[in-house]
Amino acid sequence: MEKIEKQEVKILQTIGDKIWAFFNSLKLTLTVLLSLAVVSIIGTVVEQGKPLEFYAKTYGERISSYVLTLGFHDMYHAWWFFTLLVFLAANIIVCTIDRFPQKWKASLEKRVDVAPQFIKNLGNSASFTVNTINGGDVFSVKNRVIEILKKKRYKIKNTDVSDGAAVFAWKGTAGRFGSDIVHVSLITILTGAIIGSFFGFKDYISINENETVNAPKSNFQVRLDKFWLDYYESGEIKQYNSQLTVVENGKDVLSKKIWVNEPLKYKGVWFYQSNYGMAYDRIKEARLVLKDKKKNQIIGEPFVVKWLEPFKIPGTNLAVNLAGFVSDFGFDEKTKQIYPRSPEHNNPAIQVIVYDNEKPISGPWLFLNYPEIFATIPNTNYDLIFMGYQGLQYTGLSMTKDPGTNIVWIGSIIMALGFILAFFIFNKKVWGRIQKAENGVDIYIGGMINKNKIMFEREFSEITACLKTEVTQK
Amino acid sequence: MILSLMFFDMAYWFYLITAILYIGNWIFRRDWIGSTATVMTFIALFANTMILVARTFESGHAPFSNLYESMVLFVWAMAIGYLVMEFKYKVKVVGAVVMTLAFIAMIAASKLPYRFQSIERLNPALQSIWLEIHVFTTFIGYAGFAIAFGLSIMYLVKNRMEERGAKVSLIDSFPQSSVLDELSYKCIMWGFPFLTTGIITGAYWANNAWGTYWSWDPKETWSLITWFIYAAYLHARVTRGWRGKRAAWLSIIGFLAVIFLYWGVSFVLPGLHAYA
Ligand code: HEM
Repeated sequence: MEKIEKQEVKILQTIGDKIWAFFNSLKLTLTVLLSLAVVSIIGTVVEQGKPLEFYAKTYGERISSYVLTLGFHDMYHAWWFFTLLVFLAANIIVCTIDRFPQKWKASLEKRVDVAPQFIKNLGNSASFTVNTINGGDVFSVKNRVIEILKKKRYKIKNTDVSDGAAVFAWKGTAGRFGSDIVHVSLITILTGAIIGSFFGFKDYISINENETVNAPKSNFQVRLDKFWLDYYESGEIKQYNSQLTVVENGKDVLSKKIWVNEPLKYKGVWFYQSNYGMAYDRIKEARLVLKDKKKNQIIGEPFVVKWLEPFKIPGTNLAVNLAGFVSDFGFDEKTKQIYPRSPEHNNPAIQVIVYDNEKPISGPWLFLNYPEIFATIPNTNYDLIFMGYQGLQYTGLSMTKDPGTNIVWIGSIIMALGFILAFFIFNKKVWGRIQKAENGVDIYIGGMINKNKIMFEREFSEITACLKTEVTQK
Repeated sequence: MILSLMFFDMAYWFYLITAILYIGNWIFRRDWIGSTATVMTFIALFANTMILVARTFESGHAPFSNLYESMVLFVWAMAIGYLVMEFKYKVKVVGAVVMTLAFIAMIAASKLPYRFQSIERLNPALQSIWLEIHVFTTFIGYAGFAIAFGLSIMYLVKNRMEERGAKVSLIDSFPQSSVLDELSYKCIMWGFPFLTTGIITGAYWANNAWGTYWSWDPKETWSLITWFIYAAYLHARVTRGWRGKRAAWLSIIGFLAVIFLYWGVSFVLPGLHAYA
């Protein structure tokens, strides 16, 4: 019994090892990165997220069925694209975890006393002999070496060995961890993106001026105080602006002017200026005039009636109330309903309720585009003519909530830090060994860098040149 | 617009002269040609800077808002990058390739249809400091990649000669292949973080302007494709069997992707980025 269990554990272990080894491979990294690059191209060639008929029309029945089966029409959400991203993430995590401890240990380790042969085998190395007569003894040569390296801002450790001294100098150790930090930042950004796709939402609202609406999926309201455009002198539109107020529990809590690039933020929900226009179902005010039926003549001045504010017409017993509007008049024969055919102001019509001594007597519809269709007010001498109106601006707001966004930005900052370490800070190590020789002091010096070899070659030859001139001249 | 066009014409001819001088220096190996070439680069760079300055005054905003302006910025960054390299590493032969590329870029800019050259009012979405940072960093990145592209081609040529042991005097004057390899790596070490910063600041701007930091529009996607290729390049350099030649090919493919990202997407694929 026990034996079998052990065997199972062992099998599981080897499977685990195999998976680990599979993901612990830079060849896989290259494969995944280049595959992502290649397949992403598909998504820029095949138009994304169109209605299904579009693909049949563009590619023909057969090819479009492949396109749809493989998910090319919504590629970045296709399972295989997602799989590639999972591979990327697993690859990053495994590679980084696998290498980190070793790197960390190696960076702490400071071997000072190394053999001359080790120094000779380094990428950059030099050795020469200093004449004892003018070069001084081991001790003073060692101090010169240390001084020169310190001037180059190296950190130094040294020790005396049986026949001389050993020096170890290093700088930029942090640069080694740049890649790890970049990888951590990538995982952070992916995490932010995943959180956003699960817990975020997107919506759209439109608000008329001076109207308050409930924000979807939230427990507050938003009011539009004003909408306006800014123009360049040339007449081109410069900016769209909305003055918004957040209302919570009946109280105004926040007021802000927003424009494209400057959203309103409240409780993690962002409101963006998205579009604007004229309301299709109401207006601000209308201009009307009375006409004498018999004389066929305009009476008095035109007057302005505000939306839902009854207006007493001077010199008569009549009052009117502007109670209805459609931007594009439509009439359904079956249901006898009036409806807007479109939000465009193609055929604007208003409904006015007419009162005679406060008693409603009729409710005619009037058309702006058909001035000959005017309303005849029953039992009076008057016709009513619709002369013009001022529409009501609305603002269109996109609304988003994405709790992952900040994580993405934090990841981005971490990535910037990682890049600075990886690409601008280089890990340099220099070993020196000073040995008593027959008629002088032998100096072995050698060094290496993790990348950017040309730059280091120059620095190293400067160091050796200093050593040669300064030490031998003393 | 007169002033900036005048400076453009000047820079155009100066870059041509610069490229010819560097090529002359490469072929005839005369020190005086080489020194004149370097001086000429400074003069061309000055005219190039003046295009940007004049544009800023003429348009009232940072000069990176359309394809033409961004090309000027691109050449500008390339010239600066090259000069720094020349002074640090003393590799004038490289100038023959890099300055030719710079001149080709100037030709391309001058051939742009007028509607891409004219000064335009910024539409509402473009009025953001993030846009300016986004374009600026992206183009420094592109310039780094362009220089790396030139170096990688030189690497492949030189490497081939070294492998065959062939002697061609024009190629002999190239730096050793290992040096060319290191230098192109160095350029990508600059280009990659700048491209990344460009992508991120672009995402930040998109998030402020329309509420999503990433919407897979063709320009965004192509920038990511380019980014994947250069990330692959960086890892190729630490992978046995991928160092050297294959890495150089990745750098070349990467720059072809940059060209498509920059020009191809603007003209071929529809999207939000109607400019640069
Ligand atoms: C498939 C996922 C990835 C894996 C498994 C992976 C693995 C590695 C490994 C093992 C190294 C070498 C570590 C070292 O030398 O210290 C490295 C270096 C690096 N990685 Fe990644 N990496 C991945 C993706 C990425 C991506 C997408 C980026 C993009 C920013 C990136 C950025 C870097 C950088 C900047 C370096 C340093 C390169 C250099 O020093 O030249 N890695 N990566």
